[in-house]
Amino acid sequence: MTTHFISAEVDLHDTAEELHSAIEIELQKHGEPLRWAVTDVDVDRQKAVVEGYVLVEASPAIA
Amino acid sequence: MNRRPLTVVLIVPTGVGASIGGFAGDALPVARAIAQVSDTLITHPNVLNGAQLYWPIPNALYVEGYALDKFAAGCWGLQPVHQNRIGLILDAGIEPDLQLRHLQAVDAARATLGLNITDWVLTDRPLQVELRISQSGASWGTIGNPDSLLRAAEKLIKQARVEAIAVVARFPDDEGSLALENYRRGKGVDPLAGAEAVISHLVVRTFKIPCAHAPALSALPLDPHLSPRSAAEEIGYTFLPCVLAGLSKAPQFVTPTVGHASCLSQVLGGQDARTQVLGGQDARTQLLGGQDAHPTREQFYANRRDFESQDLWADRVDAVVIPATACGGSAILSLSGRSSVQIIAVGDNKTQMQATPEKLGIKALQVNSYLEAIGVLVAKRAGISPASLGADISSLRRLPD
Repeated sequence: MTTHFISAEVDLHDTAEELHSAIEIELQKHGEPLRWAVTDVDVDRQKAVVEGYVLVEASPAIA
Repeated sequence: MNRRPLTVVLIVPTGVGASIGGFAGDALPVARAIAQVSDTLITHPNVLNGAQLYWPIPNALYVEGYALDKFAAGCWGLQPVHQNRIGLILDAGIEPDLQLRHLQAVDAARATLGLNITDWVLTDRPLQVELRISQSGASWGTIGNPDSLLRAAEKLIKQARVEAIAVVARFPDDEGSLALENYRRGKGVDPLAGAEAVISHLVVRTFKIPCAHAPALSALPLDPHLSPRSAAEEIGYTFLPCVLAGLSKAPQFVTPTVGHASCLSQVLGGQDARTQVLGGQDARTQLLGGQDAHPTREQFYANRRDFESQDLWADRVDAVVIPATACGGSAILSLSGRSSVQIIAVGDNKTQMQATPEKLGIKALQVNSYLEAIGVLVAKRAGISPASLGADISSLRRLPD
């Protein structure tokens, strides 16, 4: 098991709940979300800047 | 008189350089004041922990950040206790003398405070904490051996039947660094906080019991210019007493599991169900083999009502108080979806974050200070619109035909 720091951009949504779900889905591409926050919003591009940690249960296979 | 109790959540995110609450438990006065005007205050270790200093607040619930996020999302409830049986994990990376200091701090808490701390374990490997600062300016970090931490926690839970866990990990001594110098002067970001959150989040996420962390560090040389906000961490050998006091009465976590679903969104097949994805495999495929893997909405609520009779759930929250630039956390995004929750954004608690309610499209009441926030809570409790306390009252709006 390892913990990893992830930063990502996520499209803003109509509601904060939808944004919450979109962030979790984005972080799940890298592992299980452990802690995250929107740190800023690019209003012009309608993107939320997200930083967080994910948990990876096993080391990913090397391609 | 029957009235709805006022339940307030106070959040000062850890490791984001909050000017109030970003140092050594320096949001504790805010918590004490808000508790006076609330029936129940729900807050987290970063607010209440002042190393050697803490303050028992009878109506405050000490809830670790991961659990607070789950609570806010409606997935976990909080069950108050009289006293938890606490176990201690010491990182094998801590030097023997420093280990002894922590064990003596535990003995002091047992003898002087009457806390029920029964067993301790040493991790089977050094946890190897590493610290970083992110692009946003928040502190974060990783631990090299998370499995060792979890094995130690499992041993305490299975063999000693503890109900809460205090973790002490050896953190890198950062003496002479600019970050530490700034921190001691009440400026900048707590360089330890982000990694501390990872440690406690891991334990809470895995075992669903209260957990909090205290870093083990070598004593620093005296600094005549030490900020009052940071001073609580320099009056003793450990940061452990506040953690033990907080965990002693921390609420337990309850989940209204029906089948494998613990959140309504899972029951309804919503997107949150994907939060169960582990190791790259969709947990839904695992759910299909389980019993009652697709409970109905009625089953879910019937089951949850049993829990709700005694416990505290997100639908009891009336207000959340948060620094205005730090509204982008999971708990705030979850609670902002509840129309009954008043979000109070405090302007003069500056942070390194730039996630304001306006940018996020969150409806919030903006105030300048915690004093003003407390006034809003008093008005809310009394059933008075805060707008009616100002000089200018807007005209009644007529909706279009």
